[in-house]
Amino acid sequence: MGPVREFLVLALGGDDYGVELTSIREILNPPPITPVPRANKAILGVCSVRGLLVTVLDLRRRLDLEPNSAPKRRRLLLTNGARDEVFGIIVDEVRQVVRLTESELELSSAVLGDDVADHVLGIGRPQSAQNVIILLDLSRVVALSPEEK
Amino acid sequence: MADPGERAREEFFTEAQEIVEAFSRNLLSLDATLKAGGDDPSLVNEAFRAVHTLKGLAGLFGASKMGMLSHRLEDVLDALRLGRMHLSPQVLDTLFSAVDVYAQILVAEKEGSEAPLAAVDDLCAVLDALGSGGVPAGQLGSSYELDPGLLAVLTEYEEHRLRANIEHGLALYRLRVQFDLATIDRALEEIKERAKRHGEIITYLPTGESASPDTIELDLLMASRDDLATLIGTLGADHVVIEAVPRRRRPSLAAGTLHPPPPGGGTLVSLAPPAPGAEALVEEEPAPAEHAASLKSVTQTVRVDIKKLDHLMNIVGELSIVRGVLSRLSERVRADGQRQLSAEILRVHRNFDRRLGELRDAILEVRMVPLGQVFDRLARVVRQISRDVGKEIRLVITGAETEIDKLIVEELSDPLMHMIRNAIDHGIESAEVRERAGKPPAGTIALNAYQKGNHVMIEIEDDGGGIDEEALLEKAVAFGRIARAEAHDLSRQELLGLIFTPGVSTRDEPGDFSGRGVGMDVVKTNLGKIGGVIDVHSERGIGTKMTITLPITLAIVNALLVRVAGQVFAIAVSSVSEAIVFDPRKLKRIDGREVISLRGKTLPICRLDAVLALASEGPSEGRRYVVVTSLGARRLGLVVDAVLGQEDIVIKALGASFDDIRCLSGATELGDQRVGLVLDPAALLEEVLASAETAALGAALGG
Repeated sequence: MGPVREFLVLALGGDDYGVELTSIREILNPPPITPVPRANKAILGVCSVRGLLVTVLDLRRRLDLEPNSAPKRRRLLLTNGARDEVFGIIVDEVRQVVRLTESELELSSAVLGDDVADHVLGIGRPQSAQNVIILLDLSRVVALSPEEK
Repeated sequence: MADPGERAREEFFTEAQEIVEAFSRNLLSLDATLKAGGDDPSLVNEAFRAVHTLKGLAGLFGASKMGMLSHRLEDVLDALRLGRMHLSPQVLDTLFSAVDVYAQILVAEKEGSEAPLAAVDDLCAVLDALGSGGVPAGQLGSSYELDPGLLAVLTEYEEHRLRANIEHGLALYRLRVQFDLATIDRALEEIKERAKRHGEIITYLPTGESASPDTIELDLLMASRDDLATLIGTLGADHVVIEAVPRRRRPSLAAGTLHPPPPGGGTLVSLAPPAPGAEALVEEEPAPAEHAASLKSVTQTVRVDIKKLDHLMNIVGELSIVRGVLSRLSERVRADGQRQLSAEILRVHRNFDRRLGELRDAILEVRMVPLGQVFDRLARVVRQISRDVGKEIRLVITGAETEIDKLIVEELSDPLMHMIRNAIDHGIESAEVRERAGKPPAGTIALNAYQKGNHVMIEIEDDGGGIDEEALLEKAVAFGRIARAEAHDLSRQELLGLIFTPGVSTRDEPGDFSGRGVGMDVVKTNLGKIGGVIDVHSERGIGTKMTITLPITLAIVNALLVRVAGQVFAIAVSSVSEAIVFDPRKLKRIDGREVISLRGKTLPICRLDAVLALASEGPSEGRRYVVVTSLGARRLGLVVDAVLGQEDIVIKALGASFDDIRCLSGATELGDQRVGLVLDPAALLEEVLASAETAALGAALGG
């Protein structure tokens, strides 16, 4: 048994995604979001969390997935971006935390389509579950390159 | 939470930065005294201590480049304090360049770069070349009736000071002072401080006499330009007896001294170069008083990270929201018919409101720093550039104590630097031209700061040749910024405004120091980012004056809240001149721009919903308004659906993801958990003008 890494499992359009637990500052119910004109298409806008201005990113749009009409259990995951920016990532649902050992991790993105490959850390295959988990690299998810803006 | 190591590193940078700034201030003062033909040893000492401290810091944090440089500098400064090297302008220049090299080192350290810096090696080589010079030692004390017992215990430094003072023709005095043992430390410092105005205390020595068991008598040797009467007038007291030390009538004869001079004609102390370990001198230097005090910090100040203050401001912002809730609660209770309770809640609300205002002002006050921090850096630049371009420049600074928000100060140095460069490079004429114009050969640049209501004004004034508005116009036409036909209608003031158009300069050859591909347009933009507005006045042959108006703080802004397409936006009241009802029937189109006529002047109109691509709520049935914003001489009307009122808001910067959205200057909390965006009228104006140009161009091309 090597070291164990903990991932937060998110539901997004029927697939399970995972983000490293250490990269998440907080999970909360989304406060009202103010749209920002001319922003990157993946950015929903800004909101305030206890006085902190947060850039809100829609994970579906970021991964080019179909928009979801009205998810009931939307959550906002806070994570730190570059240059002191705090991002809130909107996800459909937060499921659980899984602990993956090295043997359950497949750190490569070659298995996936190009669209998503940029943001993917690898694949998790927990022995306890049927599904594979697509592991996202949050630091790359929140790094919006200028040409995408 | 940052780990302690990180915090310590952060501290290291702050501390090093501060010391380097103090060092730079020191050099400026040295430069000034040197120019005035004086000599102030305490400044050299301070510079020496600053570098010594930096060396220690560098050692603690393994900043090897900083350590190496500090070590070399220390040698040179040590040689200066001991009079083994003469402080020439060349030496001073080398010291000045060290300030910039330190800055480079700090940047490299911050980035964690290990690469060697050429600048450090170059400077070290120069410092080594300066060596620790050799100044021939004069005869010490030979011209004065000095007690050899005293001479025997002088440190090398004190000896040098004594010699320097004698060479400068200062008279020597002996102050015999009775000190109370309990308070000697303080009293001694006090008398040193007072003596500073007249000269300097070279050394002091117990006389071995004392009036009572709890007093001690010291002899202070002092050098001064003033006569005995003056000194007695200011320093004399019951416990202070001042005598002039008599000059020797015949240097070799110790006539009238109680102590026969030792063989060798009065010079007792060998002036050999100090033994290794001479650095220990620094430790001997401060009076015992300072030793005792050094265990406990004497300063009453605390260094605070600006982020913590921002956090406090956020809490105040949230408390304002609570305040709003209280007022609504009072309303509700009143509606329920409980008047008494409602009135009570209202009282609490008022009290809370007042205290909250006080708290906010107090926090703002903590964020304020004197502008002198930036001015010092500018003074260094002036010195450097004026030497490089070979123009003599006198810099006169007033109002350096004017305070402004720390964040604004940080953003000011580059624009001011650029403007000063312009003034030296383009404004001040060469000495010959000035002579012909009947001006003094040295150009004057005045840097004035003062507070005006809620704003801080900074003026940069030069007595140079003024701006050639014709040349500006030629440039602007050449760049296609303006049509020659239009120019006829422009006043001189409007022509001067052309200096802020990109690519326009009054020089054919961009000077070596200004130009550099950035012009006044960049200065204007950068000042705009911190809410600053810049105006220019210039008289041909007399000079140019740039005036910058800045908000005192960025943290809190009085804003007008407006609604556009269902969204709330804020606009700083400082840029709003009025709001009028929008009458679409008065709309005209000129050059592809929508304008209305307001009191006989055309006012370009900006439809916010269209410009910001907001989902319009269909044709608005109700009345709409035009908020007229004015920026310097230019105005723009913003069409909004409703004006909601004024409020003090706490502006927060949007994240880096929004960097390229220029028309927004930030965001603010509106109190119902919602966030409102803050509009930047200046950027909107630029945009409207630019888009109109494209539209006009399109129309001209039949597009």
